[in-house]
Amino acid sequence: MSTATATASPEPFRPGLIARAVAAFSGATGLVLKMAILAVTNAIAVWAAVVLVDKTRWVALGVLVLATAAIDYVYLAPRSWTLPLKFLVPGTVFLLAFQIVPVIYTIQVALSNYSTGHILTKPEAIKQIKINSLEVPANGKQYEMSPARDKDGKLVLILRQDPGGQVYIGTKKGLTPLPQSDVKIDETGVPTAAKGYTLITGAELFTLDKQLQALQVPTKGDAAVQAQGVHQAVELQPTLRYDAAKNQFVRISDGAVFADNGKGSFASVSNSKDELEPGWKTLIGLANFKKLATNPLYRDPFLRVFVWTFVYATLTVFVSFAVGLFLAIALDKKGLRGQRLYRSVLVIPWAIPGFLGLLVWAGLLNDDFGVVNRLLGHVGIHVPWLFDANWARVSVILVSVWLTTPYFFLVSMGALQSIPAELTEAARVDGGGGWAIFRRVTLPLLLVAVAPLLIASFAFNFNNFGNIYLLTGGGPAVGNSPIAGATDILISYTYKIAFAAGKGQDYGLASAISILIFVIVGTISAISFSRTKALENMA
Amino acid sequence: MQNSLKRMWASLGLLAAIAALLATTATAAHKAVNIVIWTDSDRAAAVTKVANDWAAKNGATVKVVTKNFGDIRDNLSTVNSADAPDVITAAHDWTGKLAANGLVQPIFLSAAVKKQFPSYTLNAFSYGTAVKKLYGVPVAVENIGLVVNTKLAKAPTTFSQLETEALAQKKKSHISFGIAVQQGANGDAYHMYPFFSGLGGYIFGTNKAGNLDPSDIGVANPTFLKNASLINKWNKEGLISSKVDDATAKNAFLKGQAAFWITGPWNADTLKKSGLKFKVMQMPAIAKPSVPFLGVQGFMVTKFANDHGVGSAATDLVTNFMANPSAQTQLAAANGRPPANTKAHSSDPVLAQFSAASKGGVPMPNIPQMDSVWGDLGQAWVKSTKGSGATPAATAFKTAARAIADKIG
Repeated sequence: MSTATATASPEPFRPGLIARAVAAFSGATGLVLKMAILAVTNAIAVWAAVVLVDKTRWVALGVLVLATAAIDYVYLAPRSWTLPLKFLVPGTVFLLAFQIVPVIYTIQVALSNYSTGHILTKPEAIKQIKINSLEVPANGKQYEMSPARDKDGKLVLILRQDPGGQVYIGTKKGLTPLPQSDVKIDETGVPTAAKGYTLITGAELFTLDKQLQALQVPTKGDAAVQAQGVHQAVELQPTLRYDAAKNQFVRISDGAVFADNGKGSFASVSNSKDELEPGWKTLIGLANFKKLATNPLYRDPFLRVFVWTFVYATLTVFVSFAVGLFLAIALDKKGLRGQRLYRSVLVIPWAIPGFLGLLVWAGLLNDDFGVVNRLLGHVGIHVPWLFDANWARVSVILVSVWLTTPYFFLVSMGALQSIPAELTEAARVDGGGGWAIFRRVTLPLLLVAVAPLLIASFAFNFNNFGNIYLLTGGGPAVGNSPIAGATDILISYTYKIAFAAGKGQDYGLASAISILIFVIVGTISAISFSRTKALENMA
Repeated sequence: MQNSLKRMWASLGLLAAIAALLATTATAAHKAVNIVIWTDSDRAAAVTKVANDWAAKNGATVKVVTKNFGDIRDNLSTVNSADAPDVITAAHDWTGKLAANGLVQPIFLSAAVKKQFPSYTLNAFSYGTAVKKLYGVPVAVENIGLVVNTKLAKAPTTFSQLETEALAQKKKSHISFGIAVQQGANGDAYHMYPFFSGLGGYIFGTNKAGNLDPSDIGVANPTFLKNASLINKWNKEGLISSKVDDATAKNAFLKGQAAFWITGPWNADTLKKSGLKFKVMQMPAIAKPSVPFLGVQGFMVTKFANDHGVGSAATDLVTNFMANPSAQTQLAAANGRPPANTKAHSSDPVLAQFSAASKGGVPMPNIPQMDSVWGDLGQAWVKSTKGSGATPAATAFKTAARAIADKIG
C-alpha cells in the first residue's frame, strides 16, 4: 500500500500562471502596489478637492469626498462583503467617467443654448457688457499716464492730456491741474517725474492691476478717466446702467430697457432681436429639439440625409464584406504561390492612415486633372466624380469600400480558418456543390463570427465623418438646400449646422442632433443584435 | 480583528500623508506678474523675442504657448481660466465671434499710435452691435493679387486685355482655363472675391452706426445681377473654371501653362524660388474695381487677463509695445506678411507688390454671421463656372443669397 503510493507519487504541486500571479500580488508586493495606487487616487482626490473648494462647488465636493472615502474603505477595511466590490469598483469608475458622464453632458448641452455669444456665465456676461458699454464721450480726452503715490502713499495718476499737453493729478475726487514745470515728460509724452509725488516704476507697477483698474477719476456726469494699461488713460462713460434688483440693463441715452429674456440674453423689450452681447449659457429646455422639428431649414433635408446615410453605411458594409470575403476565399487555397504577398498587398489600404488615403483619392478623382479621368479620357469617357450629385455618391461609396475591404478580408480569413474542414467535407460527401456548400455551411458559420462585426462596422460608417468630410466635404450642393449637400451624412450635416450656419458655433443644436443619431444607431444595432442571436441558435 | 483595524488606520494615515504631499506640489503657485501668450508656430520665435524685450524692461515674465492658428480661436471659448492666455495672436475676422462671446477686452490706442495705422486695419478689428469698439492691435496685413507671368503676357491694364491674353495662353498650352484661380468642388469665395467685387457684389451693407448689417446681404444685389451674365460668358469661353483647385492653379502657373494666377503672399517664397519673371498687381476693374478681401492679423487682450490680475500689464504689452514700428517689423516678417504699421519696414519687393494690390480692398466681414456666407457664396461660383451644365449665374447667386439669409435667420 505504502509502496504503491510512493511509486504513484504525484508531481510536486505547480500552480498555474494566474494562481501564481495572484500569489505574487497577495503578499508584501501586493500591499505596496495597492498602497501606491490608492495614494495616487487619494492625491488626485485631494487636488480635485482643492480645485472644487476654489470654485465653491460644494455638491461636487461632497460627492468627491464620499466616493473617495468609499473607495478607501472598500480596499482597506477587512470586511468580507467588500471583496466583490474590489473587483467591481475600477470598472464602474471608468464606465462612469468615459461613458455615462459624456452622455449626461451631451444631454445637458442639448438642453442649453451653448453657442456663439452664449459661452460665459451670467455674472461674467454682465461684467463684460458693462465693460463693452463704456464709450468715449463727446469731447472725451485721452491722457498719457504714470501711476504715482502721494505723500500719504495713496495711489494717484499723473496725467498729461494728449493732444494738448496740460498736466493733471487724478484722484478719486477728480482732476486737479498741476503746474507744467512740476512734471517731467519723456519723448513719448509719458510723465517721468512729478514734484511731491513718487512715481511707481518697474515690477511694482504691474502688481497694482486691481487698484489701478478700480481707480476712476470722475470728470463730468458719469464720465471718468480710467487707466488703460499702465501708461495711458482714457475718459469713458457708461452707455448702459445695470439694475441688479430688476435684473435688467437700461440704456442711459434713451431709457430703453434690456431685460433678461430667459434664453441667455438681455434683449430689448421693444425689439426682441436687439440683444446685448455677450449673452450667457443657460438651460432652455427642449428648444433645440423644437428648432429641428419646426425650422424648415433643418427639417426639410433631414429625411433625405437620413436615407442617404442609411444607404451609404449599408452599401459600404455589405460591398466591403462581399469583396473581402471573396478575396479571402480566393486566397484560402492551400499551396497558392505568393499567397503571403497577395495578402500583404490587399491589407495596404487599411495600413495607411485613412485621412491620407482620402486626400489622395480626392486628388485622383479630380474632375479635369485627376488620374482617373485622364485614364478614362483615353477611351473617351469623362466622369464628373465629385461634381455630379449621383457620381459623388458613387465616389464616396467606392472609396469607403476601398478603405473598409481589407478589414473584412482579414476578419473573413480568420473566420474561415476556424470552420472545421470536416463539415465542408461532409457536405461534399453528401453531394453538395461548391455554391451550395458555401451558402448552407460556410456562410452561416461565418456569419456567427462576423455578424457582430458587420453591425459594429455599420454603426461606425453611419457616423463616418472623416470619409465624407475629406473626400467631398458633403458636396456637391443639391438644388436649393443651403446646408446639406448630396453626400452629407447625418454627422457631417450636424457639423455644418453646428459650425457653418447662423453665427458660427451652435453646440446646443449639434448635441440635440447627436442624441437623435445616437437613438437611431442604438435602435438599429439593438434590432440587428437580436437577429444575430437567432443566427446563433440556427447554427 | 483589532489588529487588522489598527492596520487599516495606519494605512489611512500613510495614505493621507502621501496624498497631501502630492497635492501640495501640484497646486503650488507663484505670484509674479506672468503673461501667457498664445501664438502659432510661425510667429512663436518672434513673439517670444518681442514679448521678452518688453518683460525685461518691466520686471515681468512671459510664457509663449504655440498652437495651431485656428485652435487659438476655438480653444479660447473652452479653456479653463487657469490655463487661459492673457494675450492672443488673432485674425481680424475672429473679432466679432470673440467679442460676441465676451472673451476679449476692448482696447484704446493713443491718437499718435492710431495715426501710424491705415484706418481699415483698425476698422477690421472693431466690432459692436451698438457701440463699435477696437479689440485688437493690427500687426500684419495680407491680400490676394493677380500674379502675371511677364514672359508669357503683358501686365494688363483693362479686364478685356486680361481676358484676351488669358484665353490666348489657354489655347497655346491646351489647358481648360485661362486664369488660374482656385475653387474646387466646395468652392472658394475668398479667392473669387476680386471677380465678385468687380461685378458689383458685396457681402454685408453697413447700418447707420457704421457697423456691418447682417440683414443687408449684397450677394445678389441688383448691380451684381445686372453684370452676372459676364460670368456665363467666362464659363463658356473657359476663362475661369470651378474644377481648378489650389494645387492645379499653382501647378499651371509654375509650369508656365497659365499666364495669370490669383494668390496671396503665402506663395511669395514659392514665386521667388520659381525663377519665373512675374509681377503682382490688382486685377483690372470689370464693372467696378476688382478689389480683394483684406485680412489683418494682430494681437488681442483676453478677458482672462483681468481674471488673472494682469489686465494692465497685458494691455500695456499689446497697445504700447506691440504697436511700435520695431516690434511690428519683427512680428510681420516672422510670417512673411507686410507690417500693418506704416512706419514699420518690409524690405521685401514681392510683399510690397502684394501690398500695392490691396488698394481699395474690403476687410473680410468680422461679424459672426460671416460663417453662414462662405459655403454658399463659394457654391454659387462652383455651380456657375463648372463648364458644361453650369447653372446660370443669376440663378446661382440668387439661390445663395436666399440660403444665406435663411441661415442667418
